[in-house]
Amino acid sequence: MLRVRFFTLLHLLLNRKEMELSFVPGETVRDLLSRVQEQIETPFLHKLLGESGEMKIGTIIMINGRHIFHLDKVNTLLSDGDEVALFPPGGGG
Amino acid sequence: MKLTDAILLRINLSDHTSREEPIAEALLKDYLGGRGLASKYLADEVDPRVDALSPENKLIFACGLMTGSSAPTAGRYMVVTKSPLTGTIACSNSGGIWGAVLRKTGYTMIILEGKSDKPVYISIYDNNVEFKNATHLWGKRTGETTDIVLDEVGEKRARVACIGPAGENLSRIACIINDKHRAPGRSGVGAVMGSKNLKAVVVKGSNTIDFTDKSAFTSAVKEKIDKIKAHPVTGEGLPALGTKVLDNIINQGGLYPTRNFQAATFEGVDEVSGEALVKKGYLKSNTACFACPIGCARDVELPNGIRMEGPEYETGWAFGAHCGVNDLLAICEANFLCNDLGIDTISAGVTVGTAMELYEKGFIPKEDLEEGPELKFGSSESVVYWTNKLGRVEGKLGKLMAKGSYRMAEHYGHPEFSMSVKKQELPAYDPRGVQGHGLQYATSNRGGCHVRGYMISPEVLGVPEKLDTQELKGKPKWVIIFQDLTAVIDATGLCLFTSFALGLDDYTDLINASTGFNLTPEETLKIGSRIWNLERVFNMAAGIDPSQDTLPKRMFEPLPDGPQKGAVHQLPKMLPEYYELRGWNADGTIPEPTLKDLGIV
Repeated sequence: MLRVRFFTLLHLLLNRKEMELSFVPGETVRDLLSRVQEQIETPFLHKLLGESGEMKIGTIIMINGRHIFHLDKVNTLLSDGDEVALFPPGGGG
Repeated sequence: MKLTDAILLRINLSDHTSREEPIAEALLKDYLGGRGLASKYLADEVDPRVDALSPENKLIFACGLMTGSSAPTAGRYMVVTKSPLTGTIACSNSGGIWGAVLRKTGYTMIILEGKSDKPVYISIYDNNVEFKNATHLWGKRTGETTDIVLDEVGEKRARVACIGPAGENLSRIACIINDKHRAPGRSGVGAVMGSKNLKAVVVKGSNTIDFTDKSAFTSAVKEKIDKIKAHPVTGEGLPALGTKVLDNIINQGGLYPTRNFQAATFEGVDEVSGEALVKKGYLKSNTACFACPIGCARDVELPNGIRMEGPEYETGWAFGAHCGVNDLLAICEANFLCNDLGIDTISAGVTVGTAMELYEKGFIPKEDLEEGPELKFGSSESVVYWTNKLGRVEGKLGKLMAKGSYRMAEHYGHPEFSMSVKKQELPAYDPRGVQGHGLQYATSNRGGCHVRGYMISPEVLGVPEKLDTQELKGKPKWVIIFQDLTAVIDATGLCLFTSFALGLDDYTDLINASTGFNLTPEETLKIGSRIWNLERVFNMAAGIDPSQDTLPKRMFEPLPDGPQKGAVHQLPKMLPEYYELRGWNADGTIPEPTLKDLGIV
């Protein structure tokens, strides 16, 4: 199983905190995001990804607390049991 | 008036006199305004060794270079003085409207000297300066004080900056409150105001700002506003959720300090996050400071009827995760108390959390609680009660807490439990989980502070580019650039949040368009370096030696939990390179050639 968690603007936009999906061997983060959007039938990928499909500046996607920018970005392969956290760009301090 | 025709108002509180002085344009070119210009005056006029709470210290209220203009977010002012908390130079920065109205009086800066023999407040209406009796205001909270002062001066459009009971009673973590909800919050600047028997400064003005080339300025402003609105952080993230967008980001990243930095993730985050503030219905709308196209402030109404601005991320964290509290209502109430009593929310929350650890470990005896609730992590009752006590500077423990966490912990024989740098409490990011930001804490000229070089932006948020939190290579250089650029932004009077969308070239454009200085970006950044080095020169003369460029002992012990479990802060591996890149000696002192190159000597 995979656990996808929606934070900040996505939490409010989708009015949900998380969902569980089956694990598909060989699936990347990009594949997973498309699958999630199909299932919940609400467009949200534009909040995270630019027109080219790459992460927007400031988008944070973590797998088990590790930012995918330091892995293989949206091409990072998922493993069974992963928790994927999604944050559109935000800031403060 | 042109921005370059700057005038300061010098007020002597001892004999209740005031006079105007022109500010040389050469000084503006070297230091711009705000933090830079005021630090230059303080360094020239105040012996760094004076007692911060003595009449010999001075208190400076300073507009940034562009404060009061239409430049995006140009409403900031700064309070510069010697800090009674850290012993360093203090510069506390605030938004709202007050700073922009100070500029409309025609004054760029107010220097307050001496000490009044009885409580006073000062009314400044254009160039009419009046000293007014404040005996009847002494002891009153900031909200009530603001209302009474506005009623007495009869100018509803006037703006008030004042202190509450904390500043009057010389709490070393007291702040100043302007426009009821905004604060130059850190380093105890409110205590300096209290030490001078100055309750409030009320301003109203009718002057307008002229520009040599108005169309160039207007054009530059429009371009920068467009950039700010188009950026996902400043155009969408901050307006929607404010700074509390960060709770879950920082918690998920494993650097969300919990129970006095004993853990790095908080199990109660969902109850206290920015999302919770919306979901629970407390958030009514977002609001904006003067000339701000972002609008990150929160207009909040609590179920008990309290209407307030906030809480900001740092405040929510300080009374929340740091104290192990998952009660958003109690957190908001503690925030409201801090504003109304005039106390810094970060230092107050961290001090309460420090007391909780000291009590739980048996270092604070139960009898010192007097009538108060037990200082247990997770107790919302305790957070509200003890914030009230320390804000009023009441009771044995309340009085100790009002000195800040370091002095309180030192009193009980265990200063190592104070999570502070140079005696100022650390904000809401565990340095073990973000190496560059930790280096910035250690080297900050005002001690534990996140807004002297917000390395969270690249290391966690990925703006302007993503850096690895644990990578050390290149971090000292990043920290220096962030520290120097931040000094420039502060000196301009713009909000640091513009830097999510704007860069060095943009700030240089705005400075040039507003003044005609024709600076290159390199010259602009050199101004930041000049300000940074000047502050350090003051600190060194005040006795703050480089051995204080460090972190609490706990930061060199492994993170106990979360995705960065096991990480320690690697300060010794970065500090020598930081000193070298700054052009300093290996022992952290500043060599004469570096000071000469910057025009400081």
